[in-house]
Amino acid sequence: MKKRGFLQIPFAWLFAIIVGAVILFLAVYISMKLIGTEQTTQDAKAGKEIGVLLNPLETGFETGKTTTLNMPVETRIYSRCSNQGIFGEQTIRVSQKNFNKWSETDIDVSFPNKYLFSENFVEGKKFFIFSKPFNFPFKVADLIYITSKNYCFISAPEEVAEEVADLKQENLFLENCPEKSTNVCFLGGAECEINIDYNAGYVSKKTGKVYFNNDALMYAGIFSEDNLYECEAKRLMQRVAQLTLLYNNKAELVSKSGCNSNLGGELSQLNNFAGTFSGTINLNAMNSVVKKLEEKNDVAECRLW
Amino acid sequence: MLQNAGYGKMKKAQLKIQQMAFMLIVVTLFFVLVMMFVLVVKFSGLKNTAMGLEEKNAMLLVSKIANSPEFSCGESFGRNKINCVDWDKLMVLKESIGKYEEFWGVSNIEIKKIYPTENSEIICDKYNYPECGITRIMPKDVQGFDVSNFVTLCRKTMSSDGFYDKCEVARIMASYGGEK
Repeated sequence: MKKRGFLQIPFAWLFAIIVGAVILFLAVYISMKLIGTEQTTQDAKAGKEIGVLLNPLETGFETGKTTTLNMPVETRIYSRCSNQGIFGEQTIRVSQKNFNKWSETDIDVSFPNKYLFSENFVEGKKFFIFSKPFNFPFKVADLIYITSKNYCFISAPEEVAEEVADLKQENLFLENCPEKSTNVCFLGGAECEINIDYNAGYVSKKTGKVYFNNDALMYAGIFSEDNLYECEAKRLMQRVAQLTLLYNNKAELVSKSGCNSNLGGELSQLNNFAGTFSGTINLNAMNSVVKKLEEKNDVAECRLW
Repeated sequence: MLQNAGYGKMKKAQLKIQQMAFMLIVVTLFFVLVMMFVLVVKFSGLKNTAMGLEEKNAMLLVSKIANSPEFSCGESFGRNKINCVDWDKLMVLKESIGKYEEFWGVSNIEIKKIYPTENSEIICDKYNYPECGITRIMPKDVQGFDVSNFVTLCRKTMSSDGFYDKCEVARIMASYGGEK
């Protein structure tokens, strides 16, 4: 009687099953890894593309520009900000929904020359983006606001209401606000998620209070998360500090040919303020020097900006 | 006789195992090759995508740069002008460009005066400005592709009647690619 072992299977079969299983396992494992890599690539690509698509919003002298961003799948755009380095950094991270699950990626796309204001993350297939120049008193940057949910502006001052109406942005309402809109109130009220004191220059939410000194920063305060707002404001001041140095040097250069601007003192003062900026609560103290600079530059023989 | 038959069977079985092992190795190699091919195609695609994005970015960026606060005329030469570069500011920026090296994400930015053509081939520095035509913002030479746009290049000039605004036609170029 020939012995065939415990399982009564020929060795060739056993060998084929084991090796086959190993090959199948490896194929499945590698495929899964590749799908993961592809998803990460897609997320990184989407992040970079969003950054590129924001560039047209930062050209020209318009008081406000608006656009929409349509994504093929449900997407979350995370905005992060860092004050490291001379200008700090804006980071975008994109996560997309696949098979009812949000992709997890740790790839951040960074832009040192962009200033994005949004909630911690904005979610949806359609994103509304508008931009507004930030002048302090010279142009510092174009601020970009990304939103996806509805906002209802209640009792807005005339200039704000006019601007919101002119933007024609689908998710910003002045009247007939849809249900579940975030209420932005300028004269207070019981059902207000966001309260604005336009004259005192602050935006208050459940999470805290942030300060502004012009409309560009007011919108930033409305649409963005408090910490992000403060961080971006600091980044703006980092750029203000560099621009004051640039204008100071320009003043020296043009004064060599006898064209004086007489702004040196105020520019140094603004540079000091910007260098020691610790939060938007400091903005109020800077207003007088900003105003003085604006007035002096307007009448200067050689205007610096 | 019996022993011979057993030996023959064993040999046949060994041959079958060898055949099977050989087949498995060939199949595995085939899959590995297919996978390598897929990966090569995939990563070359990724590289192209990255290059495409960079190029698209540069196209938009060149307009953005001309209008950014570090370059633009603002209201220095009358009312706000689009695509107007302040040459005085540019020369000052050139001196402190170290801080801005990574800021716009391009390898170099060059503004070349194209009309009037006098001194248009002379590279500007603080000693020959404004008797020059090419303002290279970053000191390094670059290779790769570039994108350009037409701009007005303005500065303050002194005449017997006092200061006046002098604006010339220029081309702003942003270049991408590996450094030399």
